[in-house]
Amino acid sequence: MIEFNNRIDAQRVILNLVNRGIWKEELYGLSSGAIDRWVRVNGIDPAADLPRAIRESADKLFFLANKSQEQVTDEYRLLSVEVLELTQRIARIIDIV
Amino acid sequence: MNMHIYAFGSICRGEIDLGSDVDLLACVGGPAEQIDHEKYSVYRYERIQALWKEGNPFAWHLHLESRLLFSPDGTDFLNDLGKPARYIADARDCTKFQRLFDRSYHELRQSSNSATFHLSCIFLAIRNFATCHSLSLGQPIFSRKSPLMVLPSLDIDPQAFSILTRARLLSTRGYGENITNEEVVAAIKAVAIVPRWMEALRSQHSP
Repeated sequence: MIEFNNRIDAQRVILNLVNRGIWKEELYGLSSGAIDRWVRVNGIDPAADLPRAIRESADKLFFLANKSQEQVTDEYRLLSVEVLELTQRIARIIDIV
Repeated sequence: MNMHIYAFGSICRGEIDLGSDVDLLACVGGPAEQIDHEKYSVYRYERIQALWKEGNPFAWHLHLESRLLFSPDGTDFLNDLGKPARYIADARDCTKFQRLFDRSYHELRQSSNSATFHLSCIFLAIRNFATCHSLSLGQPIFSRKSPLMVLPSLDIDPQAFSILTRARLLSTRGYGENITNEEVVAAIKAVAIVPRWMEALRSQHSP
């Protein structure tokens, strides 16, 4: 999760999952601007499970992005696990949607 | 709280267009919960010092293209650090961006799912590849157009390059006109030359 390409891979997995759904416009990225646009264009309730899970995973990935490679702390490992759990949560929500 | 604020990036190069925003850096001495991390890149002083020591491209970017906006005591923290160490991680960094290109290109050809994101990653890969290459030659180019400014430049149709730029803005800011299927097809075709271009740039370095 620490390595640059691993973080992009994690984003790609989340986007591929979300964009399996049928949307007027797909989710273009995990930046807050891209998520806001996706919520707005598709008329999604911002408080619904899916946008909340997406925002949470984005927060954690951007937090990881700002950390240095040497900072492999327990908190860091925990966050990586949380991203994985959030990805699984998104997959379950998408299967329901 | 001890803190220095800088502007950096496109605004310091005068590279302004409708998609530009202002890149802001906050150098802080401790936890910075009051700073909006969406608006600022927030780094601890020690982390910046470490980037300077390793000759990281971001350190060079800040060294060459940043402007002090606020100082608590009249000091200029970045300026006082002097010149960053020589950049030596070009082989590793270029491999990293080459891999990003390969994966994104592969995904893009496999399926239309998340095409804008994949195009955005391709933009990131070629821009950063060109920047790291130029930095390793001692002539750093941090512009968004760095792939078009290195030698040899990426021989890509300007229209296709603008599709990649738009994808990046859509992905990182949710800004801009969305990309049509025809544009995705045109961009896939146009970036087929990227691996050869990357090889040509790398061949300028001694093994």
